Amino acid sequence: MTPRDRSRHPPALTPGYFSSVHRAPREALVPLDPEEADLSGPVFGTADIGSLDHDLIRNAARPGEMAIGPRILVHGRVLDEAGRGVPGALLEIWQANAGGRYRHARDGYLAPLDPNFAGCGRVLTDGEGAYRFDTVMPGAYPFPNGPNAWRPAHVHFSVFGWAFPQRLVTQMYFEGDPMIRHCPIVATLPDAGAVEALTARYDPANDRPMDARAWRFDIVLRGRRATPVEP
Amino acid sequence: MSAPLRETPSQTAGPFLHIGMMPDGAAMRPLHRAAPADGVLLGGGLFDAEGAPVADALIEMMQEGGVWARCATDGAGAWSLRAARPGARPFVDLWIVARGINLGLHTRLYFPDADRSADNAMARIPVERRETLVASKGADGAYRLDIRLGGPHETVFFDA
Repeated sequence: MTPRDRSRHPPALTPGYFSSVHRAPREALVPLDPEEADLSGPVFGTADIGSLDHDLIRNAARPGEMAIGPRILVHGRVLDEAGRGVPGALLEIWQANAGGRYRHARDGYLAPLDPNFAGCGRVLTDGEGAYRFDTVMPGAYPFPNGPNAWRPAHVHFSVFGWAFPQRLVTQMYFEGDPMIRHCPIVATLPDAGAVEALTARYDPANDRPMDARAWRFDIVLRGRRATPVEP
Repeated sequence: MSAPLRETPSQTAGPFLHIGMMPDGAAMRPLHRAAPADGVLLGGGLFDAEGAPVADALIEMMQEGGVWARCATDGAGAWSLRAARPGARPFVDLWIVARGINLGLHTRLYFPDADRSADNAMARIPVERRETLVASKGADGAYRLDIRLGGPHETVFFDA
């Protein structure tokens, strides 16, 4: 496994995001030799996936009904750092509904729940590392982090590759959203390139005409250490 | 040859991670792996730097032999997972995400009754911090380890 480039990720302590202050270890991490670290990981397959797990518009809807909100599809590929597709990667996603409300006991936001929307989904990547979800555009919502903090529209991703050290949790934002540059959680990212990497692009070539707009989001996981090659 | 790609940056899992990673079954079945027969129970508390329980975290365990499990912490910050009995490796790997954790934290639980003398990772940890990773074994056979994200007895976390 290639070593993790920590300059690509937010540091643990980011005081502008209040929740990190008491949850950030202060001691230096202890290095584990990647060659020594256990590279095995849990293996997931089609038996773990239900037929509507990829479709958040319908997977919690009453018969004949659908979730409310702008219809979108989110698709892309899971790649390793060498650009190779990662087949069989498991992606779990969760998000707020179109009004910015999560179906969660601890979310008390004013916006109403949608009885036809749970906000969770799951897919396996195909042989080329490609995936797709159908969902609704999540709403922005306020959160307690100073006098007035809002989250941009986002989808949470949890990714399993072929090895446990690849395990990644992140969030996907939407190109053109003016809320991105105001968000204290986005601001934990180290630079503009990292924000860019988490920003899905509108992808009209993959729209479903008269149905849904497409957003493209590729995910890069750590890869195998390259074998040195003679120049 | 194209330039290598950079890993996708991490963002916090936030306070509502249960929706996607511990689904209640209304829309999606929880991911499930059968607990090892003849396994052992691991558990403890998860605390922040002030000693407050972390009640909205997810902990995953990876153990040799492909044993994997996950749990959410409860309102008191308690976690509980079923593992296989210790084999060749004297530890299980643990990975923690939560609101306020910007990049998943990797730690280990070492079994107190397993031989750690040949363990390279343990050898790299300052002696006075090693005990933060060693569980205690209760009379019921369960292993207990408190995990502290900060404070005077901060748990050792790894860069793997």
